[in-house]
Amino acid sequence: MGTEDPAVRTRGLSKRFGKNVALSRLDLTVAPGTICGFLGPNGAGKTTAIKLLAGLYRPSAGTVEVFGRDVTRARDTVQASIGYLPGDFTGYADQTGRRFLRLVADLRGGVDETFVAELAQRLELDLDRRIGTLSRGNRQKVGIVQAFMNRAPLLLLDEPTSGLDPLMQREFRRLLVEARDRGQTVLLSSHVLSEVAEVADDVAILREGRLLDLRSMAELRSGVTRRVDLSFGDHVPAARIRQVPGVRNLSVHGLTAQVDLAGPVGELLGAVLPDGLVDVRTHETGLADVFLGYYTKERTDAHDLPQSPVGPAPDPARLG
Amino acid sequence: MLTICRKALWDQRRTLPAWASGIVLSIVLEAAMWPSVASMSSLDAYLTEFPDALKEMFSIEEMSTGTGFLNAELFSLMLPVLFIIFGILRGAHMIAGEEEAGTLDLLLVTPLSTTRLLLGEGLALAAGVTALGAATVVGTLAGSALFDLEIPVASALAGATACTLLGLVHGAIALTAGAVLGRRGPAIGVATGAALAAYVLYVGGLFVEGLSDAQVLSPFHQALQEGPLADAFPASFLTLLVVPLALVGVVLPVWARRDIGAHR
Repeated sequence: MGTEDPAVRTRGLSKRFGKNVALSRLDLTVAPGTICGFLGPNGAGKTTAIKLLAGLYRPSAGTVEVFGRDVTRARDTVQASIGYLPGDFTGYADQTGRRFLRLVADLRGGVDETFVAELAQRLELDLDRRIGTLSRGNRQKVGIVQAFMNRAPLLLLDEPTSGLDPLMQREFRRLLVEARDRGQTVLLSSHVLSEVAEVADDVAILREGRLLDLRSMAELRSGVTRRVDLSFGDHVPAARIRQVPGVRNLSVHGLTAQVDLAGPVGELLGAVLPDGLVDVRTHETGLADVFLGYYTKERTDAHDLPQSPVGPAPDPARLG
Repeated sequence: MLTICRKALWDQRRTLPAWASGIVLSIVLEAAMWPSVASMSSLDAYLTEFPDALKEMFSIEEMSTGTGFLNAELFSLMLPVLFIIFGILRGAHMIAGEEEAGTLDLLLVTPLSTTRLLLGEGLALAAGVTALGAATVVGTLAGSALFDLEIPVASALAGATACTLLGLVHGAIALTAGAVLGRRGPAIGVATGAALAAYVLYVGGLFVEGLSDAQVLSPFHQALQEGPLADAFPASFLTLLVVPLALVGVVLPVWARRDIGAHR
């Protein structure tokens, strides 16, 4: 397990169930110590890919490696380095959270009890209740704790925030960032853009079993245009606005100018401030539009993303 | 492996005591009838009326002894069937049931290998049916002592072992079928089919001339031929021990290469 090995590398990874192609020739590399988000609509192959990485499915074709080890050949060794949260986590209805976590810990050869307690406390999870009596969100927390508690080098999380309330989703994102900062690699799937956008370093977009695109969030954001409404006191400095790099599609309605802006908003604001700017509203629908573009059938070419001519994008937002 | 075995036994923490006490109770209740049956003056004459095959099947000619009575009433059919039902239900639950519930993933995405998982579950299955076997010994000896059936300890052990082995064989069929098929219903179906086939072969061998050679293949024959409350352990018990081990050995490579949870 050399340090130069990627955390995850798949080559031509395919999975068929009978005639049904669940995953088709996936080439994916995830660098250690990063968070990679799997995005895609239902049935895109996210779960199949995660199960192949976890060694639960055998590839129909291609190879899958975790930290340089072939998952098929060294399955148990690889599985020892994985914290796994299945998409439909249920646990055992008749066990308490504590008993269940002890079972998983025993199978993994022990666990840091104080870390388990810390995770449970941060997620506000009562470990002494039977899992069957827990609400869906609380049950999901048991799954999250078991996936995180061993500080496994690779976390495979399938739709991890399903059922969590917004506060808990925020706490979960903190856990993700802390794990990444400890050097763990995280691969999480979601069909919710915002969930992935806030934490991921890289995003893999899947649809119908194919990888449409793999790129960094920073790159994605830099290509995003957002709509900006600028309101002025007495006149709209249309000519000046047009000269700002990244501005497109200027339209003026009374004392309000509406533009599509690619890149940071600072330069535009600086340019129009002396002209009596009174109000600014930005509508960041661009990122969502980018993803929706992938989701819709018409747009199958992954590379006609809006590319920005402007400088570096802002860092991905991190909560916490 | 032991973690899995412990977990599977914990799953049985309520069913196993319930089954065990049910078995003890039914044996003791059956034994309680012995004093009134033994005092029937025409019992011997009545018993000679039965067809030969039935006599052999239920060891009816020995029914005028306490051992023969329990053989006919419990050990020839009812107890074996109870053990088989228990074995099949537990065996099918252990891998196929976990897989359907979605919990098998969590057990396997750990250093635990598929081999050790199957062996651990098999061990728990064996422990469960053995506990029922122990309950059978206890019930038989208690009933015998309370109601003067005069059943030797060795016979009680042999009879309980016969039931235990039948439960183990069919439980192992359900367990291994579940490991291959991944679904509980089909696993129960395969094991139940095997049990019915074995029983038909066993009974058919008694009634039908042409089947008597094939009869030795039936686990029922191997388990019950000498008693079942026999004076000694027949060698055919060994076959019944080898069958579960062989089944596990045969399915291990298939089970190790199978996609987990793909049916759900």
